[in-house]
Amino acid sequence: MDPFWTQLAAFFPPYVSAHYLLALIGPVAESLGMTVGAMFVAYLVSLPVGLAMATEAPGGRAAQRFLAGFRAIPDLTLAIFCVVLFGLGSGAGMLALALYYMGAVAKMFGDLLRTAPAAPVAALRATGANRAQIALFGLLPLKSADLLTYGSYEFESAVRASVIVGAVGGGGLGSELVGTLAGLDYQRTTTLIIILILIVSGIDRLTVALRRWPRLLWLFPPIGIAALYFYGPHFLALGHAARTFAGMFPPTLSAREWHRLPALIGETVGIAAAGTAFAVVFALPLGLASARNIAPGWVAVPVRRLLETLRSIPEVVWGLVLIVVAGVGPTAGALALGLHSLGCLGRLYAESFENVPRAPVVALAATGAGPISVAGFATFPLALGPIAAHSLFRFEWNLRMATVVGLIGAGGIGQALYDAQQLMFYRPMMAYLLVTVAIVAAADFLNERTRAYFGWSYLAR
Amino acid sequence: MPLHPLSRRNLIVVGAAALLTIVSGVSRADDTIRIGMIPDAGATQVSIDQKAPLQAYLAKELGHPVKLVIPTSYNATVEGLGNGSLDFAYLGGLTFVKAHGRYGVAPLVQRDIDKKFHSLFITQADSSIHALADLKGKTFAFGDINSTSGHLMPYRAMVKAGIDPDKDLKWFRYTGSHAATVQAVAAGVAEAGSVDETVFRALIAENKVDGKKLRVFFTSPDFVDYVWVARKDIDPAIQKKFAEAFLRLTPEHDAAILAILRGNKFVTATAAEYDDIEDVAKRLAMF
Repeated sequence: MDPFWTQLAAFFPPYVSAHYLLALIGPVAESLGMTVGAMFVAYLVSLPVGLAMATEAPGGRAAQRFLAGFRAIPDLTLAIFCVVLFGLGSGAGMLALALYYMGAVAKMFGDLLRTAPAAPVAALRATGANRAQIALFGLLPLKSADLLTYGSYEFESAVRASVIVGAVGGGGLGSELVGTLAGLDYQRTTTLIIILILIVSGIDRLTVALRRWPRLLWLFPPIGIAALYFYGPHFLALGHAARTFAGMFPPTLSAREWHRLPALIGETVGIAAAGTAFAVVFALPLGLASARNIAPGWVAVPVRRLLETLRSIPEVVWGLVLIVVAGVGPTAGALALGLHSLGCLGRLYAESFENVPRAPVVALAATGAGPISVAGFATFPLALGPIAAHSLFRFEWNLRMATVVGLIGAGGIGQALYDAQQLMFYRPMMAYLLVTVAIVAAADFLNERTRAYFGWSYLAR
Repeated sequence: MPLHPLSRRNLIVVGAAALLTIVSGVSRADDTIRIGMIPDAGATQVSIDQKAPLQAYLAKELGHPVKLVIPTSYNATVEGLGNGSLDFAYLGGLTFVKAHGRYGVAPLVQRDIDKKFHSLFITQADSSIHALADLKGKTFAFGDINSTSGHLMPYRAMVKAGIDPDKDLKWFRYTGSHAATVQAVAAGVAEAGSVDETVFRALIAENKVDGKKLRVFFTSPDFVDYVWVARKDIDPAIQKKFAEAFLRLTPEHDAAILAILRGNKFVTATAAEYDDIEDVAKRLAMF
């Protein structure tokens, strides 16, 4: 039999025993604790920064720029750094998450608060209120619902990220996952992935409840502080961190490494392109099959569940599994991006189909055209604009993720970074990191341009 | 002077107090001895309970609570010794050379077999590969990039046999652990691979892979490998206790612990034994 299928079969059935599930309580608590502590810090820092930015207070923009700088470094890369600088375990993972999400949340809060309706804010300003008063009594209450909604989205994404940072030594479920793969306990890997899916959907329910009963938010600070205490960094080797960090400068590449660089960048872009193409090809039929206005319920509902499952498993986790199944290398990386993207694009395509203007569709149906003709000649062409925008966004996101899946063995610039880090060649590592940051910055720039072109209504993440 | 609750000075004082509280929480001391092991055979935090007898034995001998930690990579184990998050560790030859060079870790003990260790080249029983020269154009799996028996020494053996892994193989990949290498070869993902001899035999003995499906086609010359080390700031008295705890192990009394360690007898280790490994690592640009 083909090695691909033999290897895949080794992941089933999932390993379940009371003993193992009990033993997993620790890693699950560690992953959740890491997330809660990191997000507590991220919200705490981001809210004032966002408010300062929205009220144009001095230093607000500079602070946001500084935090956004961390966002240019992918979360997994940040985690590798934190493990090098602060040692193993949930402390390093929490630090990486906190830094990354401070950047992400500050940007998002700033953007949201700036869109507050102008009239009430102007009225408040006319009473002679200072910046702090405008922020507290104007902006915050005006935008509290949006802050809560988007803030909880970021929390959900952080839960998945906690597993990712765990994979490089940040502790919790991620470390456990990597261990099961290295130890050939593939059936346990499947158990862990199922637990991850359950946790993500549980958090999803929780955020819905939170939006309905915002008072629940008062529970967050005490839980956050407890998480910081139990899962935060337990020691700080500042001298070691400073020395190690200084040893990464100046970033240097040997002649041989320079020579390889274009091929590595090409491989990374190739992984992103192949992954996106894979997702687009399969997302079109699956998107149609799950659109409520096109497919019957008995088709749409199972397809939706499938897409949900595909996207609740992060790219890195797909990558870790596919490396076992398809072997280390760019194929595994492209497939990993492809499967996760398929989950995301499938849903977005379905929504695009559902949101087409009704009139032309009804008109075509009135001529006596069958459902397939209606889909082909009305719904599909009408949805093409949003579909193109979503696909483009996805490619840009995958460009960023291609540098990340490289870190776990999928080739390209990420793999070069990881190998240099593993061998403790920290100067080349820093050089590769700068190249990565440049790739991510280019992707972000493209993203901003696309977004400006299409407008915010097609927003896709 | 009137007190403004939100004056800048008060804010600074409150901020500094908060920071101090956090930092003091961070540096809270406990007397647990943390012992790291490179993940050479693949292991998880949960599977550490398979190593519980070793942890209990060391806690008893050292007179301190002991926590065994298996980081997700070789590098993280070395950095753990550098930043103080690990006190003792089990390292491979190459990781020892690095940890010794960067952080001055002290070698303590190793198994008698580690002084004359071997790396095995494996392939599927019915494959056409019978010697190193046959690897030309084939796909190959190394273990972790930092592994002595999974990467460094096999790499040297290939170079000596006239095979340049960068040019002559179809491709090579790092699997991250010896167990993963064996699995990759058994499943046909890679046509051949190089592994630690003790891990290979243990996997077959535990029936984790089918021994009949695999064949060893080359055994490397002797080299020195794994070693237990102490971080340089560890009290010499505790270092001594740690070493003695291992030297005292006998197959008659400590079979369970020795099985975990895949050995029969422990001997004293010295840094000088690793000069050759360091030399090879430098020549192959891995150090």
